[in-house]
Amino acid sequence: MLNGLNIEGTTPLHRMSVRAKLAILLICGLGLYAVSSLYVLIPAFIIAALIYFTTGLSFREGVSRLKPILFTILILLIATAYLTSTRAAAESFFRLMAIVLFAGAVTATTATGAFIDEITRLLQPLDRLGLVRAADVGLAFGLVLRFVPDIFNHYQSIREAHRARGLKVRPLTILAPLIILTLKDADTIAMAIDARGFRRPRERLR
Amino acid sequence: MDIRFSGASVRYGERTVLQPLTLSLTERRIGIIGLNGSGKTTFARLINGLVKPTTGTVTVNGLDTVEDASATLAEAGFIFQNPQHQIIMPIVHEDIAFGLKNCGLKADEIERRTAAVLERFGIAHLAKRRVHELSGGETQLVAIASVLVTGPGILILDEPTNQLDLKNRRLVENTIAGLGEHTIVISHDLPLIERFDRVILFHDGRLVADGPASESIRAYHAVAGC
Repeated sequence: MLNGLNIEGTTPLHRMSVRAKLAILLICGLGLYAVSSLYVLIPAFIIAALIYFTTGLSFREGVSRLKPILFTILILLIATAYLTSTRAAAESFFRLMAIVLFAGAVTATTATGAFIDEITRLLQPLDRLGLVRAADVGLAFGLVLRFVPDIFNHYQSIREAHRARGLKVRPLTILAPLIILTLKDADTIAMAIDARGFRRPRERLR
Repeated sequence: MDIRFSGASVRYGERTVLQPLTLSLTERRIGIIGLNGSGKTTFARLINGLVKPTTGTVTVNGLDTVEDASATLAEAGFIFQNPQHQIIMPIVHEDIAFGLKNCGLKADEIERRTAAVLERFGIAHLAKRRVHELSGGETQLVAIASVLVTGPGILILDEPTNQLDLKNRRLVENTIAGLGEHTIVISHDLPLIERFDRVILFHDGRLVADGPASESIRAYHAVAGC
């Protein structure tokens, strides 16, 4: 399914420029790492959750998008609680969740094309210095946003195939076909990008 | 159109996927048929340089597919078996504009070309739609439009009616029939192929029949044993 991650809408976040959203996200991320008070982190988490769930995502879809990263954050939470203290674990949890929710809101309210254009524009100075190829980096970001749902759909298909065959769903038995399918897709997509003339010089157009 | 294969073959390790082949393609509508794994797709991918020949050369309108790879891609557009793989952007309009943006065209020129190709294929009403909301036939039309917007003179389609229902199949067939570009179509859809100027049959990586559609299709039935 080619559904991308952005949700159409007219919320203030949808109307805000991509550059402003990315700048706010950066400032929020850095700001949240500068504080360690739960009196700040918990309200930040609540505000981020409110913003995230008012972008037009259904509650179910919103939670489903968070599941993979939530798993990682929980592992971090347990490790931090075990190695340091419960309070430090709580701080990490609320800080990371707030950042994830802010980032999720930005992703949900930004069209893939606009995102690619903005990243490409922002990297133009580095491109001029010959340090990066701005268009390649922009496309790479866009492809991640565009194909994450495809990988999730592959995962669901493999899981259903396991169930249909009466097999127990185990991470190891799912991982191998998922990686193979994803790599196969990546190969075809790379070929398609070439075939569609990415980096084709202008004079080649008719 | 002038496509020339000069002793071109493809090998992956010890396995020969396509035996050395020498021929030229000039007809406007060419069909490629054969059983699964017979070398059809490899043959087609050689034409726009997506696959490099292990031996020999392939030229398209005088351009070598290895030495002039970028120019060859501009001459010959390719529609993949699963059109979803080549649709990069989530909105129809954005996807059609994708190839043009990467060529560095100005916004108004991109808009003009995109609008023209949407109009040409009768899909202007789909411009703002999300690609995942389209039917199979509409997705195929968007894929064709997104390739032809950059103006290749040759269009290669890999099983374009595969997995389509009767209605969508008709839609895509009629679109292909109306294309002004030179078309090379790989297909198992024999009613589509039988109206073509020339049909080539592959079997086990070898070209086994090449000529009018009726003759090659007869040979295909013999090869398939039915």
